[in-house]
Amino acid sequence: MGVVTNYIKDIQAAITSTYEGMSITFSHLMRRPMTIQYPDKIPVPIQETLPLRYRGILEVDLDICTGCLACERDCPITCITIGIDMNKETKQRYFTHFDIDVCKCMYCGLCSEACPTGAIRHSSEFEGASYNPAGLVRHFAPEPSNLYKPKKGGETEDKLIAKVDIGLKYLDEFATPDGGGAAEEKE
Amino acid sequence: MTDYAADTGFYAEEMTINVGPQHPSTHGVLRFVVKTDGEMINEAIPDVGYLHRSIEKIGEKVTYHGYVPYTDRADYLAAMFANQAFCMAAEKLGNTEVSRRGEFCRVIACELNRLASHLISVGTFGQDIGAMTPFVHALRERESINNLMEEICGARLTYNYIRIGGVGYDIVPSTMTKIAEFLDHFEPIVEEFNRLLSGNKIFIERLANVAVVSKEDALSYNLVGPNLRGSGIKWDIRRDIPYSVYPELDFEVPVGTAEVGSLGDSFDRFWVRIREMQESVKILRQAMTMIPKGPAISKVPRKFRPPVGEYYARVEAPRGDMGFYVVSDGSEYPYRVRIRTGSYTAMSIIDKLSKGIMVADLIALIGSLDVDAPEIDR
Repeated sequence: MGVVTNYIKDIQAAITSTYEGMSITFSHLMRRPMTIQYPDKIPVPIQETLPLRYRGILEVDLDICTGCLACERDCPITCITIGIDMNKETKQRYFTHFDIDVCKCMYCGLCSEACPTGAIRHSSEFEGASYNPAGLVRHFAPEPSNLYKPKKGGETEDKLIAKVDIGLKYLDEFATPDGGGAAEEKE
Repeated sequence: MTDYAADTGFYAEEMTINVGPQHPSTHGVLRFVVKTDGEMINEAIPDVGYLHRSIEKIGEKVTYHGYVPYTDRADYLAAMFANQAFCMAAEKLGNTEVSRRGEFCRVIACELNRLASHLISVGTFGQDIGAMTPFVHALRERESINNLMEEICGARLTYNYIRIGGVGYDIVPSTMTKIAEFLDHFEPIVEEFNRLLSGNKIFIERLANVAVVSKEDALSYNLVGPNLRGSGIKWDIRRDIPYSVYPELDFEVPVGTAEVGSLGDSFDRFWVRIREMQESVKILRQAMTMIPKGPAISKVPRKFRPPVGEYYARVEAPRGDMGFYVVSDGSEYPYRVRIRTGSYTAMSIIDKLSKGIMVADLIALIGSLDVDAPEIDR
């Protein structure tokens, strides 16, 4: 008799717990979904909704790059290759190439932290599909360009002021982990 | 056997079948050579090594700072803990102080990561047993944690957040508010999850008394983490070999209590994980109120050259005791890095437990041990 009662009780428990589960599942029909319809049917591009610290594909602003090679040294997989040459007549140093292999990059963020001017930084771009691996190597110096020399007492050229400010702002908000200061100001 | 075959005309012998490496329930590329007699398993030999990426060897070729992102890849579901274990070893070698705010940031990030990892574990466990819905619900919550992680450190899975001397980026107040909001939202979700999955009669029947690990076996096979605690042994690195600021935090170590079957069965291990999530929420709330002001990272030289020595640092990762053994020869590169992970020892007990159980229960067993292929092979 006990066996039969237990058998029926088990069936009852299975049915009730299943229905409880079903009611929870049903309640989820009414909730806001977590998923989004990428890449269509979204009001703003995802790149704009990403947080400030998002580590996307690297970008370099060569106009404010001093050529200190700190990023190249700090990169654990040497995906950054920089070539610097000097014009013998004018003693002006210039980039021959500045390539970042996005294939190799593991988005660790060590290079952008090492940069003193905030020239190399993570963008919020993540869609980098290409038909061949060579297309994923980003050439930031397609033609030789001069190195940036920080002027004493601040930048004077209008075009560069904005770029320097962007770089320093990036360093302040992202790459400088001095914590306390930034946190207190915002409170 | 032969007599049986001769008498009845049926041909009966052991059949060797292959589970994995592309099996959905083996969580990554994991292979078992299973000898079965009909539906009963006589032997299940794990075959590891499909996901070997030689992370230990890479450690000898990159600098201390540069190795931190590689430790992320040791266990990609709980990258924060590998970060912390390696950084703790490097800090001890180099006599580096960790800033106090950095320690709290580490605790917050690690406990969030533990929530994410346990959600994956219990979710996929349900899926292996045949319950699809809880998996989706668990992953949805994990998605919120990933979003928080993205705000804290800029990455969703391979964080590279914990650095030698502290953490890479400070947690700003706006993120703190979001974490608090998430915790308020998450606690009822755990209750709901229990009603949906843990209280389900079919789920309980499927797990109770399956693959029972006795206390003695758990110790002799060197199980760690929730697998060990599921057998009723109260051992947690956070409590017993304290590190970071865990001694200042008040939390409990959940152990298996033979909730539905016998002590140390698959359900106990599952239940320990659910309760650990609740403890993590408690730790997070405390850490967020106790966090002091100050720098998130202490001054560490760019060229980090610890003196000659060796150190073994261990942390309590979601899959148990995770340790980094780092030997320094005084140069810029580690001389040797050895990683000890919980999943690897959990693999060794599968053969013993699988004797005499059904093929379908093998899947429950693998799920309940929460083995993670990248962590096994490294």
